Amino acid sequence: MTILVVSFLLVFVPYFIPWGPLDWLSGKLMTIAAVTNAFTIVIAVYSQFRRSGRFINQKRKGWVYHIYLLALLAIMTLSGFIFGQHVGAYEWLLLAVVTPLSSVIYGILAFYMSSAGARALRARSPQAALLLLAGFVVLLYQAPLTGAYFPGIEGAATYLTDTFGMSVSRMFSISVSIGAIVLGVRMLTGKEVAFLGFGEGEE
Amino acid sequence: MNEFLQFAAVVVGIFISFAMYTTLYGKPNPLRSWAEFSYLGAATGVSIVISITYIWNTAILGIQAGDWILIFSIIFGLMMILRMHPEYSYISRLPLAFTVGTGLALSLRTQIFTSFIIQINATIVKLWTNVPLEFLYRVTIAVSVITILTFFLYTMELSGPLLWTSRVGEYLMYIGFGAIFAQTFMGRLGLFVGYMESLTTPTWKTPYTLASALICLIAAIIFDRTGLGEKLSAG
Amino acid sequence: MADESGIYKKMATYDKRWVYVVLFITTLGPLISPIGMPIGISAMTKNYYAELDTLQEGDIVFDTWNMEFSGYMELKSGVLATHKMFIEKGVKLCIAFGHYEGVALPKEIFGKLKTWLDNYDYTEGEDYIIIGYVFPNEAAVAALAQDFHANVRVDWKGESIEGTFLDEIQNAGDFDMISDYTTGLATTYIINHMVLQYGVPMVENSIGVSVPGHLANLDAGLLQALLASTRGGAELEFLISSPGPGLKAMDAFTLGHYSLIIFIIIGNIGHYGWTRRSGARDRTGIK
Repeated sequence: MTILVVSFLLVFVPYFIPWGPLDWLSGKLMTIAAVTNAFTIVIAVYSQFRRSGRFINQKRKGWVYHIYLLALLAIMTLSGFIFGQHVGAYEWLLLAVVTPLSSVIYGILAFYMSSAGARALRARSPQAALLLLAGFVVLLYQAPLTGAYFPGIEGAATYLTDTFGMSVSRMFSISVSIGAIVLGVRMLTGKEVAFLGFGEGEE
Repeated sequence: MNEFLQFAAVVVGIFISFAMYTTLYGKPNPLRSWAEFSYLGAATGVSIVISITYIWNTAILGIQAGDWILIFSIIFGLMMILRMHPEYSYISRLPLAFTVGTGLALSLRTQIFTSFIIQINATIVKLWTNVPLEFLYRVTIAVSVITILTFFLYTMELSGPLLWTSRVGEYLMYIGFGAIFAQTFMGRLGLFVGYMESLTTPTWKTPYTLASALICLIAAIIFDRTGLGEKLSAG
Repeated sequence: MADESGIYKKMATYDKRWVYVVLFITTLGPLISPIGMPIGISAMTKNYYAELDTLQEGDIVFDTWNMEFSGYMELKSGVLATHKMFIEKGVKLCIAFGHYEGVALPKEIFGKLKTWLDNYDYTEGEDYIIIGYVFPNEAAVAALAQDFHANVRVDWKGESIEGTFLDEIQNAGDFDMISDYTTGLATTYIINHMVLQYGVPMVENSIGVSVPGHLANLDAGLLQALLASTRGGAELEFLISSPGPGLKAMDAFTLGHYSLIIFIIIGNIGHYGWTRRSGARDRTGIK
């Protein structure tokens, strides 16, 4: 807890009370924290190796795919470190595997959103009807053809997004920040210690 | 990379994309499993290389340049890794406390302003202006934010005026959700359309795109009908 | 009545895979065979264009690519159009990635801008420097904002940045503008530690999902301008008279939206024609 509070103060206070040596120290502490956080990738990789190792040892369903995963991981890592990031197998796999699949993984959400919207958006109640109506107006505006032939829809859609939509986001932003502040104070006062691996009441 | 390897990367990329799209068919199949595990392995490899490069560029090069205090970043990082050791995992509490304390300071010192004070300032503004549209916008925003916030008061019983404002807030919130749903759909559609555009530009890619789509669809149907999909997939 | 129930039942209970097939066809069709539908320009895009237009030759812009490759697929119209404006104006760019997939982006983006790079003699090292993945977490953003050269010594290829235009940058306040393309990664940190602390003007090119949140920041004055998703990028392409992937995608965009609207209408008709009535039949026993 002492480390937590001291590191907090050394970074928090200089923001409000600028003083050369303290500014320098807080900057260095931020860099040290950034690099320390970057080491957590090792923990993630270790977890993946453990999980895949379990699948392979116990020959569970799909164990062959886990061997393939570990092999690809090793090729990618070794190739990147030995030959560099801009040549060889690393670059080829980046272009052939990582970038297309990254695009697909999020692009698939368009299909899920469409089917969810088509099946779940029903005007079952006044609130749902309002949601549906607002959604329709904005969807129609977002299709460029509608705005070209019915210019008035821009005003309506912009009004809905820039007021009601923005208000909901602002409300969430305010609520989340209050929650974050409360959680931060609880952590600093020792009421939340689970993140350090302690149980309740321990320190 | 020579031209053939570049061409091969594009064609493999197109085929593996549609292998992943067979997820939409709804039944497990080995093409989808192959694509999933390919991404897991390759993306994890990329993240390892990039993270280690970041550590090298920031900490090691900094130490070499005379910034000796950065040695602590390496020490703390190695202590953090000990979290995996069953016996010595307690050592990781020190760097964890340090990074959490620093992170808390960074977020609290700014979030109070950007997510709270500035947002409230922007809501409680002078409502009347000479421009009627601007007046309408300001009134709507002020009324919406306040009434929606009232709706989320769970720690007290809502009665009288608070009850009515929370009901108004509920209705306004649903209008907001409708607008947000439409914008979210636009975003997701944009992701998909953008990727399809890259699969059809330049035009020489189009036959490979259509062929891959057809092959993967037929394969998914065959795997499903023969029962091999469940057997050969990973889950 | 039985026939009507059949149609209504089909409308209420169709297989969701038909939605996927229709969406796929309505998207791929116009991309292969463009229709050329007209497009309107929104006030938000005009404002974004006006903000970029204030830049002068030699201004240094912090170009933060806070997007994965998937996010780039949505934002590429805006990314390419914005960079065309930067190249035309002779602005210096310091390019940073917020995601490890960013290493694949320069080849993709500058590959598509090759003609512009050649025409304006815009070269890496002189006019733009890629410093690589420097935003793994909030602490990294804050540290870089406070002391640039203590946290960035080399570019993404490992070459020293000493002796370049980045010598003028001591902290985030020395940038003339921040141009961010985001799926939501380090953007909040940049706003918190660069915009709030140093007052650097920031323009945002955001995916559709994040637009409501960024509208709040735009309204609060934390952002100067916002470009929304593929549509905003297409509008910007139109404004700078340089058609690109955005305008090409607008036909598919239109048909994709219309197909969702039609499916929602069908679903609602089916709901009122069959689902509610089937519920009533079950409750009352009247057939």
